[in-house]
Amino acid sequence: MKVLAPAFGIATLIAAGGALQAAIATDVISRYVMPPPSQVIAALGRIVTEEHVPVRFLLTSGEMAAAGLLILAVGVPVGWWLHHSATLRRAFEPWVAAWAAAPLVLAYPLFLVLFGRSSLTIIVLGSVAGIAPVILKTVEGLAATRQVLIDVGRSLLLTRGQLFRKVQFPAALPSIFTGLRLGLTFSLINIVGVEFLINLGGLGQLINELAERYDLAGTYAAICFVVLASMLFFAVMEHVEQWLQRSR
Amino acid sequence: MRGRAALSVEHVTKRFGSADTGITAVEDMSFHVAPGEFVSVIGPSGCGKSTLFHIIGGLTGDYQGRVTVEDEIITGPHPAIGMVFQEESTFPWRSVIDNVAFPLELRGMPRAERLEHARHYVALVGLTGFERRHPAELSGGMRQRVSIARTLAAQPKILLMDEPFASLDEQTRLLLGTKVLQIQQQLHQTTLLITHSLTEAVQLSDRIVVMTFRPGRLRRIVPVHLPRPRTDEVLTSPEFGATVAELWSDLREEANRGLADAEQAG
Amino acid sequence: MAATLTLSRGPARDVLRARLVGAVAILAAWQALASSGLLFRDVVPSLWHIAAALIATLVDRAFYTNLGVTGFEFAVAILLGGVVGTIVGLLLGSSRFLAAAYERWVHYLAPTPKIIFFPVLLLLFGADSGSKIAMGALSCGFPVAISVAAGGREVRPVLIRVGHSFRANAWQMATKIYLPAVREPLLNGLRLGFGVAAIGVLLAETKLSKAGIGFLVMDAYRRFDMPGMYALLILVILLVAAVNTAMIRLGRH
Repeated sequence: MKVLAPAFGIATLIAAGGALQAAIATDVISRYVMPPPSQVIAALGRIVTEEHVPVRFLLTSGEMAAAGLLILAVGVPVGWWLHHSATLRRAFEPWVAAWAAAPLVLAYPLFLVLFGRSSLTIIVLGSVAGIAPVILKTVEGLAATRQVLIDVGRSLLLTRGQLFRKVQFPAALPSIFTGLRLGLTFSLINIVGVEFLINLGGLGQLINELAERYDLAGTYAAICFVVLASMLFFAVMEHVEQWLQRSR
Repeated sequence: MRGRAALSVEHVTKRFGSADTGITAVEDMSFHVAPGEFVSVIGPSGCGKSTLFHIIGGLTGDYQGRVTVEDEIITGPHPAIGMVFQEESTFPWRSVIDNVAFPLELRGMPRAERLEHARHYVALVGLTGFERRHPAELSGGMRQRVSIARTLAAQPKILLMDEPFASLDEQTRLLLGTKVLQIQQQLHQTTLLITHSLTEAVQLSDRIVVMTFRPGRLRRIVPVHLPRPRTDEVLTSPEFGATVAELWSDLREEANRGLADAEQAG
Repeated sequence: MAATLTLSRGPARDVLRARLVGAVAILAAWQALASSGLLFRDVVPSLWHIAAALIATLVDRAFYTNLGVTGFEFAVAILLGGVVGTIVGLLLGSSRFLAAAYERWVHYLAPTPKIIFFPVLLLLFGADSGSKIAMGALSCGFPVAISVAAGGREVRPVLIRVGHSFRANAWQMATKIYLPAVREPLLNGLRLGFGVAAIGVLLAETKLSKAGIGFLVMDAYRRFDMPGMYALLILVILLVAAVNTAMIRLGRH
């Protein structure tokens, strides 16, 4: 059962692909609406070479990395600042939570105006989408530091800065990483989405460009590629986080 | 027709797992239940009683032997058999009356008719006035009564119950047991009760099937010669105690085997 | 007694004070930026212009017409996404085999940005409301399916056995047992679905449409009507946030 079911699943999906191929070949489905799967698979190879997929992948990853650095560089200090004072935390943590829930990506035309048609806009949008989880998880992680560890630090006469660097921050790291993972997830979704919407950047832009060129097979192939890339990304993130959790 | 069995279990054997590493839950069980009879199946924990229950109810397949209900071989849940499960099984999102009317709803009975029908069974289990309540508002004992009423509403030829009072306290058990007996007598309901309680088996049954520890085989069938109705007088009579003692001597040996097995495994 | 009273009042007042200070600081910084002339013209309009634009938008008939279009697309998207998501979720939740065969694909597809499927939806459903509804439904379907699948697995096995013991057929099992049993996870999934459906519909409208709030936003962008765009965005984000909050409140009840 353990092997049979997933194999069955894949087999039926392939069979569905075959049925689709037949339906398109016999014009039951118009090939101007959906290209035959065989063409899409062929296009996969084509776009990798002709459309510089590796370069685009690097570009999108670069935007992701920049956004990641930004949300860490801003998010962690803000989180620490909020954790500092109970009043500040109670006052503004709900605001940050609301920020996390707000569909800020809808304002992308505004960001276009503010930051121009450049990678900066994409990075900013990615950061805006991903910063809230980092802040929230930083606060949570710092708050969850076991009191006894802080007491140990105080009894050793550590200064505030040392206490933070040597006790609180390391204790909060797993939580911060979870926040980073969540933040990067939102960032990725928004970055690729915005690349598509404003026709600028790496992988997301590729889909839009191929669509505007009416390269149907290419568009489908590019979408498949992006789906595969994001699947890979999330699988990796999950594994890294699990590994981190285990080594606690 | 008197004399013809309502339920017939013939040489039922059930194995779980592979031929060499599996366990045999039930082995070569055979017994009959006559129409209108109340039969209990008793045995130590882990003897395969629940497996037997699921086999007779048609929810477990892949066994040797056969089970017949009125000359029809069971291949799945049979309309002539009504099951009452051990666990809490009322639908929490339905009121009492809608719970009881459930089997009638499945059959396509129109609403007014099935509510009328259901009301009769709600009254039978003594829950008149609680029709509109939801299970969350009721005690455990009351919820089990709803489950019993629901099963009875389907008017099964054979009522099959798997330790229905197991999760209830002693007093509720006794009261519900008496209630079930009352209903059974009233309806002449053929009943097969799975239980681990000796007193319950003796209180309610005409005959008691004693199972051995795993693999569950038929150890003995004990007829209960106590008069009906089983009044408090009967339940406190020396004959009652003697029957229980007789059962216990049988069961103790099996229970000890079960204990030894558990200690070995643990 | 008095001490505890002040203690419980103090912190609440401090929080309120902090928020007021924060809000004022943000608005003041905004206004300063707007009047500074540092950025190009209307890129950061003054608060007055934004306020004026808000009022102008709220009295504009065209706003409500377009809101109606978006609202309609959203409503149908939720219905479609909800129904399909529920069916998929019930199938995955009730059968361990189906779940083992297909659920991983649902999980892999769930976090990908759905807007990238828009070109396909355009081809399949046209440039009008069809593709927007499809976009919303596609976004909404995933959280519903995942939530219902998880809920389906949590249904107490004895309840399933009761259904089988009464020989309920598959349709009866689905509608009379599984569906009522997963009511809460379904609603939870729908709450998430609401948010992502709104985003999906609106983003699709910004990409290609002749009507709807997304269209209005892009229209303002193309005319460089910055105060107007700010007004629309504020209204949209407030609206979606309000819907989200309402759903959360409904969930608690």
